[in-house]
Amino acid sequence: MAEETTVRQSFAARYRNFLLGALAVVLFFAAWQAVFLWVPFNPLFITKPSLIAAGYVDLIESGELFHDLAVSSVPFFLGLGAAVIIGVPLGILMGWRPRVGYALDPLMTIFYASPLVALAPLLVIFFGVGVWGKSIIVFTLSVFPFIFNAYAGVHAVDRLLINVVRSLGGGEWALYRKVIFPSVLPYIVAASRVAVGRALIAVLVGEFFAASEGIGFAISRFGDIFAMDRMFGCILTVMVIAVILTEGIRWAERAAFPWRVGR
Amino acid sequence: MAETQTLQTPVVAARDRAEESDAPARSLWRRMEPWAFGLGSIVVLLLVWQFLPSFVPMKAGTKLFFTVPSHIAGTLWRMFATGSVWAPLGVSATAFAIGLGLAIAAGLPLGILLGRSTVLNAMFDPFITAFNATPRLVFLPLLMLWFGIGLWSKVAIVFLGALFPLLINTYEGVRNSDKLLINVVRSFGANEWDIARLVVLPNSLPFIIVGLRLAIGRAILGVVVAEFFGAQDGLGVIMVRAASGFRVDVVFAGLIIFAGLSLLMTGLVQLLEKRMSRWRPDHANAG
Repeated sequence: MAEETTVRQSFAARYRNFLLGALAVVLFFAAWQAVFLWVPFNPLFITKPSLIAAGYVDLIESGELFHDLAVSSVPFFLGLGAAVIIGVPLGILMGWRPRVGYALDPLMTIFYASPLVALAPLLVIFFGVGVWGKSIIVFTLSVFPFIFNAYAGVHAVDRLLINVVRSLGGGEWALYRKVIFPSVLPYIVAASRVAVGRALIAVLVGEFFAASEGIGFAISRFGDIFAMDRMFGCILTVMVIAVILTEGIRWAERAAFPWRVGR
Repeated sequence: MAETQTLQTPVVAARDRAEESDAPARSLWRRMEPWAFGLGSIVVLLLVWQFLPSFVPMKAGTKLFFTVPSHIAGTLWRMFATGSVWAPLGVSATAFAIGLGLAIAAGLPLGILLGRSTVLNAMFDPFITAFNATPRLVFLPLLMLWFGIGLWSKVAIVFLGALFPLLINTYEGVRNSDKLLINVVRSFGANEWDIARLVVLPNSLPFIIVGLRLAIGRAILGVVVAEFFGAQDGLGVIMVRAASGFRVDVVFAGLIIFAGLSLLMTGLVQLLEKRMSRWRPDHANAG
């Protein structure tokens, strides 16, 4: 309320960027729908928003979409959870114990630099395409951002704070709990943004290979049977989920660690 | 050196000498320690992997999936010695190069345009955010329908993967260019094209190069994944066939080739980055 009296901006001026963005999205879908008034419409190769909407209603009513999303989310969260549980302590250890860092840094860099997704066919053959196979692919792809960000986070720890805790009689555990972990936390949240993207790739790769359910499987199956409307519906769903996850983490970063904004 | 030493009192000189004889030895170890540990851990890992089958009894089924480093090295050597690697590698490299080239050709101008125009930026922002957050892999089945199985669906996925890091970094670089310089150039009568050429592009170059580094990683990922699912030849196809034929050594050899190429190209871009930002006093690490 107070803001409105001090900042006398019109609604349009204040939400200009948002309105322009929304306008562009609406225009995009309208143009997509309208272009088939002139261009011949071939339902085997392209679809239009009206058909996507109709197909989407079908997908929701039959419960297929939620079933596939639920199936895909299990390995997503299992793999990501394991990546946090293993990656963060490992990264902290590497940062805090120089010799562990020396020993593991080159090895981890090699792993991080190589396109590990190339191991997916092998993992699928080792572990199958069930929950475990997919979880392990997710873990393999998403653990390295956590390791490296925790590692970098420990290097950024304020030496002064460490000395303060030490001089006040804090032990190793107090150091971890009171200094290291809080300073590493923003790095871990930043890592999770990267890791979520990689985890999504991993789930899709796993499901494109040989799954029998899941959102990735749904997309490739609808492609195989030329059900373009449903395929686009699933693709748009994945896009919306990806945006919600990454922008949600970005928002959480801004809310929880405002001093890091802009880095 | 000799002159300063003669001026020192014997005691100081002796202490200096003692330190000299002692310190380099210690600092040599200090300097070598990271290398020793880093190399050591890799060697230990390879040795354990190599000799694991002799310590751990394995069932016949597991043995089928198992390979050892020496075997992988042998396979890798044979692939290069017989030249069987070049044809599929060439196929993969073609898709990589065309896709990355198109991404540069489209991403740079678009990034500069969006950086210079707030209206266009606001309008494109939802699309860029959405596409950048989404794993481009999700479009692969669609691209395979549109472009068929073969070169162009690979090019398309590489293009989509590499476009956004380039576009976003170019945009960030443009937004970061000095407003004062732009105003100076403009008051001397420069048009928008001159501004782009004289101020914006040199200023955003470090950002663009960082974008290029990211784009290379995404492009390689795109080639690998596209070849897993929708291709008839290429290194990725070789790998996926090998995996289903339990030829694990070939899969690892392929992974090593891809990783080596990725490291090589990232290294080259890093060199370029260092070279191009030499004239900057403190912006060497910008972006």
